[in-house]
Amino acid sequence: MFQTRNEYDRGVNTFSPEGRLFQVEYAMEAIKLGSTAVGICTPEGVVLAVEKRITSPLMVASSVEKIMEIDSHIGAAMSGLTADARTLVEHARVECQNHGFTYNESIPVLSVTQSICDMALRFGETGDDDDDDAGGMSRPFGVALLLAGWDPAEDGEEKTKPALYHTDPSGTFVKYDAKAIGSGADSAQTQLQENFKSDMTLVEAETLALSTLKAVMEEKVTSTNVEIACVAPKYKLYTVEQVEAVLARL
Amino acid sequence: MSTWSPYDMNGGTCVAVAGADYCIVAADTRLSTGFSILTREHTKVVTLSDACVLASAGFEGDRKQLHKVLGMRQQVFAHNHGGKPMSCPAMAQMLSNTLYFKRFFPYYTFNLLGGLDKSGKGAVYTYDAIGSYERTGYACQGSGQALIMPVLDNQLKSASPLLYPPVSSATPLTEAQAVDLVKDCFATAGERDIYTGDAVEIVVINRNGVRRETMPLKLD
Amino acid sequence: MQPSLPSHHPLLGPDTAILAAQQQSASASFFHNQRTNTAHQDANSNAVLAPASGAMPFTVAPPQAHAPFDAGALAFDAAITNAPPGAPNKHTTYPYVTGTSVLAIKYKDGIMMAADTLGAYGATKRYKSISRIVPAAPTTLVGAGGEISDFQYISKLLTELNDNDVIRDDGVVLKPREVFAYLQRVMYNRRNKFDPLWNSLVVGGVDQATGEAFLGTCSMIGVSYTDSHVATGFGNHLARPLFRNEQRDDMTEQEARALLEKALRVCYYRDKNSINKFVIGTVTKESGMKVSEPFSLSTEWGYDAFVHPTKHALGSW
Repeated sequence: MFQTRNEYDRGVNTFSPEGRLFQVEYAMEAIKLGSTAVGICTPEGVVLAVEKRITSPLMVASSVEKIMEIDSHIGAAMSGLTADARTLVEHARVECQNHGFTYNESIPVLSVTQSICDMALRFGETGDDDDDDAGGMSRPFGVALLLAGWDPAEDGEEKTKPALYHTDPSGTFVKYDAKAIGSGADSAQTQLQENFKSDMTLVEAETLALSTLKAVMEEKVTSTNVEIACVAPKYKLYTVEQVEAVLARL
Repeated sequence: MSTWSPYDMNGGTCVAVAGADYCIVAADTRLSTGFSILTREHTKVVTLSDACVLASAGFEGDRKQLHKVLGMRQQVFAHNHGGKPMSCPAMAQMLSNTLYFKRFFPYYTFNLLGGLDKSGKGAVYTYDAIGSYERTGYACQGSGQALIMPVLDNQLKSASPLLYPPVSSATPLTEAQAVDLVKDCFATAGERDIYTGDAVEIVVINRNGVRRETMPLKLD
Repeated sequence: MQPSLPSHHPLLGPDTAILAAQQQSASASFFHNQRTNTAHQDANSNAVLAPASGAMPFTVAPPQAHAPFDAGALAFDAAITNAPPGAPNKHTTYPYVTGTSVLAIKYKDGIMMAADTLGAYGATKRYKSISRIVPAAPTTLVGAGGEISDFQYISKLLTELNDNDVIRDDGVVLKPREVFAYLQRVMYNRRNKFDPLWNSLVVGGVDQATGEAFLGTCSMIGVSYTDSHVATGFGNHLARPLFRNEQRDDMTEQEARALLEKALRVCYYRDKNSINKFVIGTVTKESGMKVSEPFSLSTEWGYDAFVHPTKHALGSW
């Protein structure tokens, strides 16, 4: 795809004559190198599951954190340069707290997603010190996120409901029933497409998420090399025991 | 020569009553300063959304600014949240913050926010000038407060906010009964309070939207 | 004398700015010594008049270096001219040259606005041909009571507002209510700075598109309203009771003019700070905007109560 370097590779905000932003496209490539993450949205809640690459037996697996809490009703799974995700998650957390402070209600998942995507596109800008762009990124963020959350009922609706969004380095976001990102995304997505049902239970979604990961992971799936979290309707990161319980059902 | 003041007291009375599925927000339309009536037809009420109405008495300059600021915030919020306006409880918290952030040069306004909460129940929020607020079943603010509040207490007898578990403070009256009560309250306050009179503007919020009516009061 | 450099040269960095300041202080002391050597014996002790705070040195000797300052004679101005460096800004706390009431009513064809042409310095009738009713937009008049210099500043703002609208040339013309909304914010924002524009403003006009008449007023702290008739200052007490009885939105031009003249006459009889020289401005959809030449009203001072003011008020004055 990108055999030759060319002059349009240089400026992060320079379009090529074909209308492409190479640096953004390269950032998307970074995600294809990342560990696989899947998210599944059911009426009972949203499940997030990620693969953790434990490259050495001396690594403390629990220190690798690929699912993070954004607010008590929103969690994020990441793939790509996870260090970049910390910046986005930090921004999203502040946004959530500000919303709670100002409006005394939890922020809609769509608004957090918007806010993250606004930031994703704010690379290559120079801001004044008092600007909130100050200290911004000089390059696109090399990470994709799956945002799982729970939204309040809209006007005229009885029930509150779960939501799953996918964001990428181009600042694009799309709502999904089920989505896989990372190195195994292609085959994982096919598997999700074949097995997803709109009336799944949360337990069925946990099982599908892990079996999908299992199929695309090179390592054998254990309670140390996967992470699971759900939002139903509050964010919960699964303990090792809870992960093992899901593993036992595979 | 007297020293200059950035404030004036332009009078006015606001009343709000919450019911099971409606909310009434009302204010008189007189604008005064000292012993002068400036105008007899001046609204103190702003409709911020289909479920949220604000009425403010006090200093007209600050009232105007506050209502404009909240209108802008509402618009920006809708732009940032998929076209949906702030809920009434969200607006209530935002108004509190707005007032509190001007803590050391306050908006000299006495505000009542009325509307429907997310479940469609009537909600009334009452404030002081620097942002302390409380959700109640009914409230009165402004120059006629001392005349009207006891009448509301007597007629509406809503549950004490101290009860545990909490009991809904919404009034048991029907919408039409509550509108009648509000009209009587303003007619009564207008008899004794020189800053209340000319007309009362009554805004009713229910699931069908926002309806506005006016009733003439005495001009004296 | 060598020309002094600006202390904040736009093209030089902060270091060169300091250098420039030093050069300037050198030239200032040179100039100062020359002058004071002939005038004062103690001038040598006064080489550079640098404030202890380390701020920019004076380029001109302050008054206290000369003959003892007579505070009593000029106490009026002392607070402003002798303010020590770093003292807080002093804002308007009272007006100097003032205009009195502006009256305005709606009528069948649009609006009619009236005011006298006096600019009073306290109780002195100082300026007798001041325009207090000015065009602000193609169909908008603005009238002002209060501090005349502040109104002249507001007139400048309005000129800029209208010029920008003309330059834009988009066929959308500034409406009276838009001018009114703008002035409300100007007045309110200045009061927020504790630096008010000491005026009561009246905005009147017609919307060219709809022909709808507009009348509004705004005080120096941002209290504003619209009505079928408005009046500032004394006019609110003297003219508006007449307007309340007699003004109708569908009255003819003759009726409107008669009512305004009646109100002006009452104001002139009772308002010490007014003169018998008025202008009337009109804005109508058909014939646009006009401000009349100054005119006088017939008056009658031979009333018994005027000639013998104490006759029916024995024992007071």
